[in-house]
Amino acid sequence: MSILKFENVTKIYPGNFMALEETNIVIESGEFLSIVGHSGSGKSTLLKLIYAEEQVTAGHVYFNERPVDAIKQKHLPYYRRNIGTVFQDFKLLPQKTAFENVAYALEVSDETPEEIAELVPEILEIVGMSDKANKYPRQLSGGEQQKICLARALVRKPLVIIADEPTGNLDPVATWEIIQLLMKINSMGTTIILATHNKDIVDKLNRRVIALDKGKVIRDHQKGRYAI
Amino acid sequence: MKSAKLKRTFREGLDNFRRNGWLSFATVSVLAISLYVISVTIILGISANIVLKNIQDKINVSMYFDATIPEERILDIKNQLIGYQEIQSIEYVSKEQALEQFKKLGDNNPSITQALDEIGENPLLPALVIKAKNPNQYDIITKAISSASFSEDINRIDYQENKSAIDRLTNIMKLVEQVGLTLGVVFVFIGVLITFNAIRLTMYAHKQEFEIMRLVGASNTYIKMPFVFEGIFYGIVSAVVVMICLYATSMFLAPLTRGSIGGGDILSFYFSNFLIIFASLLLSGIFLGTLSGVIAIRRYLKI
Repeated sequence: MSILKFENVTKIYPGNFMALEETNIVIESGEFLSIVGHSGSGKSTLLKLIYAEEQVTAGHVYFNERPVDAIKQKHLPYYRRNIGTVFQDFKLLPQKTAFENVAYALEVSDETPEEIAELVPEILEIVGMSDKANKYPRQLSGGEQQKICLARALVRKPLVIIADEPTGNLDPVATWEIIQLLMKINSMGTTIILATHNKDIVDKLNRRVIALDKGKVIRDHQKGRYAI
Repeated sequence: MKSAKLKRTFREGLDNFRRNGWLSFATVSVLAISLYVISVTIILGISANIVLKNIQDKINVSMYFDATIPEERILDIKNQLIGYQEIQSIEYVSKEQALEQFKKLGDNNPSITQALDEIGENPLLPALVIKAKNPNQYDIITKAISSASFSEDINRIDYQENKSAIDRLTNIMKLVEQVGLTLGVVFVFIGVLITFNAIRLTMYAHKQEFEIMRLVGASNTYIKMPFVFEGIFYGIVSAVVVMICLYATSMFLAPLTRGSIGGGDILSFYFSNFLIIFASLLLSGIFLGTLSGVIAIRRYLKI
């Protein structure tokens, strides 16, 4: 069963900028998909359409067979809880500790304090950050912050994790730690969609690769290598 | 909203308030300064009014009768005058009472008592002391009395002597009222504007956090509530700060205002109105804090 489906999706930003044109993509549950392309090729737009930060101009995006554009504004927060997101600039709340940042994702979805006290340490253990739980983001390295982001994305057991250049600000060692964590999460059944510029990563992953250029899919290989 | 969520967002608001030390300090300062200026303007306006009312109560016009006029005649005239709608009260002061009062005034002045002793008889005239409802009505009253049937019995009216003082006071009252009202309106407007902008800046500092909160699936209400609580905290802290500042100001001004406001000074005014001042500050602080916050946050919550 496909977890995500792009059907003739076109996205035009104000000012007549065409970000995506007639795009068709089907993503199966449990896939580890890399999306490559130059800056401005439409990678980020594609991801934003999935977590409904942007709305399609034409066509449809289906999540679990359900059109995302049909979700009412006030139900979007509930929809987003199915999707974990990780970004290049981490997006951690600066006034919260590592533990509180992860816990926040659970607090907004009405989990009980008991569940939070149980789940958060568990997830921090998986990403190897148990000993940094009480540190604030500014006290952590880039790699460590990204692991907290992964923990936050993971803690609600989402069906899909979207990673938009998660290693863009990291050194090679931290980069590999993050990619290995993503692979580990994928092996537990979560679908991963990774947008990246990093050739090494894509080549070593040896998984499905979609290449975008000027808003169009120019290549879609099941065991792909980095090529634009 | 469930109570668990309410509790969580309350704690969020409290954490925001505590952890953004400088931002909270700046916002509270601006809010407190605005509230302080507004309340000082209002309190000064109110006490100026009380002071002027007190002075106004002390103004009167006396009509003196010839010493030969019998008391019944004067009381008869008094009864006639009671019918005037401009007159608030009339008091009869007999020769003897006048002498009594005069002696009291001269208590510390032996030359006055000595002079009275030398005259041997009571040189003072009986009088009717008239108070008008409004200081600018004395003119009308004295004119009416001068042309009344009993005007021949009158020795003199001291209105002309008091006229300039009464006129000046009337003008001051009008001016204080106008200036106070204008300043009040201007300060309230400025205060609201400054507070609104300060809180907008605070919200702007949180801008990226709103995006993050939405991304992890927080509903708009859940994002908004902590800032509503934060606004409430701003209001409460500012109100307390302003109460302290007002206390200090009253202490400072107390010696200048002794005896002028309802018999006490500005400090006693502060204490006798403590609850109502604090309640209004609290309400306006909370109202300003949360309203500006909610309006400011709206633009960051559009999807």
